[in-house]
Amino acid sequence: MTAAKPAAFGASDKLTFLLSLVPFLMDHDRVSVTAVADHFGVAPERVRDAVNLIAMSGVPGETRQYLHGDLFDIQWDEFETNDNIVLTHLVAIDDSPRFSAREAAALIAGLQYLSALPENGDRDAIATLMAKLTRSSTGAPSQLAVSHTDADVAISVIQAAVRAGTQVEFDYLNARGTDEHRCVDPLRIQSVDSDWYLRGWCHLREAMRTFRLDRMSNLRSTDVPADSHDDGVVLPDTLFQGSADDLTVTIELPAAALELLADYGPVPHGPAAAEGLSRAEVRVSHFHGLKRLVSGLAGVVTVVDPGAARQTVADWAAAGAARYEAAAQGEPAAGAPN
Amino acid sequence: MSPTPEQPHPVTVEERLFSLVLALIATQIGLTKADILSTVQGYRQRFRVGGDNASLERQFERDKDDIRELGIPLETIESPDDPGSNHHLRYRIPKGLYDLPADIAFSPDEIMLLKLAAAVWREGSLSAESRRALTKLNSLGIDSSDPVIGYAPSLRAREASFEPLGKAMDRGQVVAFLYLKPGESAPRRRVIAPLAVVLHEGRWHLYGADQDAGATRTFLLARIVGPVVTVPGRTIAPAEDGQGERALAELDALWQAQVALITVEPGSDAAVRLSKRGEPGPAEDSVELHYTDVNILADELAGYGPEVYVLSPSTLIDAVLDRLRRVRDSHAPLPETPLPRPEAAR
Repeated sequence: MTAAKPAAFGASDKLTFLLSLVPFLMDHDRVSVTAVADHFGVAPERVRDAVNLIAMSGVPGETRQYLHGDLFDIQWDEFETNDNIVLTHLVAIDDSPRFSAREAAALIAGLQYLSALPENGDRDAIATLMAKLTRSSTGAPSQLAVSHTDADVAISVIQAAVRAGTQVEFDYLNARGTDEHRCVDPLRIQSVDSDWYLRGWCHLREAMRTFRLDRMSNLRSTDVPADSHDDGVVLPDTLFQGSADDLTVTIELPAAALELLADYGPVPHGPAAAEGLSRAEVRVSHFHGLKRLVSGLAGVVTVVDPGAARQTVADWAAAGAARYEAAAQGEPAAGAPN
Repeated sequence: MSPTPEQPHPVTVEERLFSLVLALIATQIGLTKADILSTVQGYRQRFRVGGDNASLERQFERDKDDIRELGIPLETIESPDDPGSNHHLRYRIPKGLYDLPADIAFSPDEIMLLKLAAAVWREGSLSAESRRALTKLNSLGIDSSDPVIGYAPSLRAREASFEPLGKAMDRGQVVAFLYLKPGESAPRRRVIAPLAVVLHEGRWHLYGADQDAGATRTFLLARIVGPVVTVPGRTIAPAEDGQGERALAELDALWQAQVALITVEPGSDAAVRLSKRGEPGPAEDSVELHYTDVNILADELAGYGPEVYVLSPSTLIDAVLDRLRRVRDSHAPLPETPLPRPEAAR
């Protein structure tokens, strides 16, 4: 497993943690800081900070002075000497908080997405769980829904191979159009929205590689044990890594359309000559991916530089258009430019 | 600096919010704003008796919003003697509505599934929402059963419009945004009451009531360009349940009804990928593809260049050809080389 990167932890998260920690501690007479940290998946230091804060907090009380009896209390000796938490006095809260409408919605939509996968095929169990979440939230969960899609059969094959620790093999057509037979130690099956990827050790390239499931043909599992990659091999969080050989391409597009290219990490490069357009730079490993990208964004993105990239795109689109123009030979191409 | 008798230990934001929640749960009859500002930890230190507390009051307003965002039911009660007066409003958090219902329990398998569901959100505002949901779930002290190994499904909601649309839905607000409709090159402003956000065929869609058209419309989140802003003073009653299902059902029906017939170049990227998505057509190398929007499919097919040839419908043929010509013509060699760099020999 990769080490989870610590996400920004704001006041809302801290408050949620405080409100969640109290009922947990109430249910555990004596619990170590590390056990709490493990259970909540946080650093022990965060648990200690929270316990310190809880132990000094409470309600104003009748005197409005936050007197001793109005505050939470813990066994300080246990805490300071043995790193154990023993809650001895409770104030105001003693139960877990409900989910917010959006929190429940996020989990429900996540469940809908998972329900498309083979091992979560028990629709009734998922429906029961969604109903529980709805009842556990303060407001009606926000309207967020994920459509059910039939999962690629490849997912089950690879999943079984990951569990069994065996290799898979398949023919793979890469973005440049080269078809090669691959034997791979499957490490993880990963998805981004509706796109599925296999990440694993490629015996042909002798390196970690990411493969799109929809570019695989003739996938089959084998009896060959996969090598162990427990040591030294870390799967980066990002699916694809840039390389020093990447080419820089200058494009022109409406500034507002930059978001359409977010996956390519465009770097804004000032306004273009034409009104309303701006320039940006993107990095690509070769022009073959670029020509597909730009042709799929007709009228929005134009390649400016280098000329070779421009030409690759023009040739690609021209070859596509030529097939229709040849078919319509003799007929006037209505509305066609030039 | 006003002299305070107490040792002014700096009160963190979370301590102030935590103290506010505790105080409002502990009270039965509610606390007035003056009670809160003068007695609750984090406010009282900055409260000036008989002085100007305007900035402290604004702080309290923001804190109230933040607390409600977390699903904590902070209520306002009007004084029966003085209805409509802000001065005598009382605030409280009813414990019965704050506590998770007593009969709700989750099994270790369910906890495992919920953890996986939360982990699906890797980026964007929903990852923070699901992280907080998990923290609350962890407070129940139930250990999860062993997770499925080697498995990392993820949904990405990186569109910037996601969060403002979600907030607007929760608050029943009407929003406006610039929309770059597929097939058009200039964005147009839309005024929409958002009803649901749904993922269909790998794309996030907004389903909402178009205030100008007077009908429901579906928008692609990826095509919302520029910020989503709320339209002041325009709110709608909360939509009834099932808007998400309705939006998906409409998209599904549309998808079922519309079929394109294409041929793919054998052995090409298009052949491998599109053949998997569609069904084999009547002729060799032909594929039938269902679709929801002719312009979106045309965008995608144009990307395959000469690897795809559309046979029907004619609207799709025209749309793809038009795109290919636009790309070809807009990438014609430049009249003069703007940069001193040799063009590739052609």
